Amino acid sequence: MTEIVVENLTKQYKQLRAVDDLSFTVRSGRVTGFLGPNGAGKTTTLRMLLNLVTPTSGRATIGGHRYADLDQPLRHVGAVLEASSAHRGRTGRNHLRVICRAAGLPVRRADEAMALVGLTPAAGRKFKGYSLGMRQRLGIAAAMLGDPRVLLLDEPANGLDPEGIRWMRDLLRALATEGRTVLVSSHLLSEMQLLADDVVIVANGRLIRQGPVDEVLGSMGAAVQVRVRTPDPGRLTAALAPAGPGITPLPDGVLMVTGMEPAAVGHAAFAAGVELHELTGERADLEQVFLQLTAGKAEIR
Amino acid sequence: MRLIGAELLKLRTVSTWWVFGLILLPLWGMAILYNWGTANLTRTVDPGADVPADQAELIRVTQEAVNVASNLYTSGQFLGVLLAMLLGAIIVTNEFFHLTATTTFLTTPRRERVILAKLVAAVLLGLVFWLVTTVLNLLAAPFVLRALDLPVMLGEPAVWRAIGLNALAFALWAILGVGAGVLIRSQLGATLALSIGYVIGSFGAELAFFLLTQYVADWFSKLQVLVPTTASALMISGTELPGNPPRWTGAAILIGYALIMGVAGTLIMRRRDIS
Repeated sequence: MTEIVVENLTKQYKQLRAVDDLSFTVRSGRVTGFLGPNGAGKTTTLRMLLNLVTPTSGRATIGGHRYADLDQPLRHVGAVLEASSAHRGRTGRNHLRVICRAAGLPVRRADEAMALVGLTPAAGRKFKGYSLGMRQRLGIAAAMLGDPRVLLLDEPANGLDPEGIRWMRDLLRALATEGRTVLVSSHLLSEMQLLADDVVIVANGRLIRQGPVDEVLGSMGAAVQVRVRTPDPGRLTAALAPAGPGITPLPDGVLMVTGMEPAAVGHAAFAAGVELHELTGERADLEQVFLQLTAGKAEIR
Repeated sequence: MRLIGAELLKLRTVSTWWVFGLILLPLWGMAILYNWGTANLTRTVDPGADVPADQAELIRVTQEAVNVASNLYTSGQFLGVLLAMLLGAIIVTNEFFHLTATTTFLTTPRRERVILAKLVAAVLLGLVFWLVTTVLNLLAAPFVLRALDLPVMLGEPAVWRAIGLNALAFALWAILGVGAGVLIRSQLGATLALSIGYVIGSFGAELAFFLLTQYVADWFSKLQVLVPTTASALMISGTELPGNPPRWTGAAILIGYALIMGVAGTLIMRRRDIS
């Protein structure tokens, strides 16, 4: 189901067209990565979705409604935008209670959300004593207060340690599996490859590519590489030759084969009776594709 | 209602309010001593001596017990409303200083409601300040009046009217503060601009009007009431003072300023991009 629709969205600042006729959709029950170089317009787009920034033209809707028209928006949409958005002298729990109060949510949700992100031991501590990772967790807790079906996160992995990143990934995956819509902006591509089902790639405020991760990777015709290791590279090279692949010998009996599927390489070796110690298909990764797609479009504007 | 509750909770969960309360107490102490001192001084001035007739009349009325009393029972107004205004501004600038505006406006996309809630919260806070100073005044002023050989005067309607109008002054200055906070988003900028503008500005304006009246034209003195501090001081005088505009002009002018600031602040906040 389509949950978020961005149509011809444009934001013109005095000098700068931050978002330029951008259209894309985000489906529910999946994690969508919103990717782009720094300054691509990701944050501005998210803020226009949330009625914080007024678009110059175009529309952005969540579940068919503009954010400003949602009744009790926190029950529909949770957003994590800045890591450090709480009063320094207020405790984490009180920060959440203030939001509950303003949103008309029961106050116990503050403690429940604290528990969800594992912050309960620090609930009574003031925000200024929180580490960056704890601040991110508090931001997620705030977003989850209204138990929303749509989650928008702007660079949530910033400042998290590897364990925190893992935790975030598991949480977002679990939330998407429950049928929620999760849109995560990031420039950490390896992280997105692990997390996202779909990607929306933007550069210079324009859409570059959108679709499921596999499709976007496939559409680049990124050559599949097969890494194969054998005690007898010479015979294997000869056995593969009829298929006409590109073969690059590496030390230690490793051959990098391009232009052949892993299964075909394995079959050729088996037919020729060549012993194999390793056979791996290596897919082009998101990072390579991303750099190809955005090459030359990420200049400083 | 929900939003007003949230705004009050925001105030209660940080230390700003009691820091301001602690500042208020010594300032009030200074104010009542100052008022005692001036009452003592004017009492010794002989209206019949070498002063022009119109000033002599002003001095005579100022010396009237009811005016001395209403002045004492509203001690702490000058600096108290400054604190109320600063808190009003801080309620708004906090949101930008601590980057909580995003969360606030995500929770309530109808921004005018947020500003309205802040205005109400600021007014309530201003009234708390008024209540504190008034209770202190009701306790302390009778002793001062006795020391001045004047009656306690608490049966006098004019005194109670002054106390009531003093409440209005606290509320209106708090609204001015919220409006100013929207216009000057920087926490430090707003605090400095308001404090300096308030203290220096009111003395500067007095000086400017004095010079204008002396050297340009007499009618400039009539415009002095346009200075917000003069307007609020005028509002709480016990009886009509000769040579001054009627009390209601002071109230009208302050309400006008508060309206302009409140409406301007709301309109600006509605349109502004939060990033």
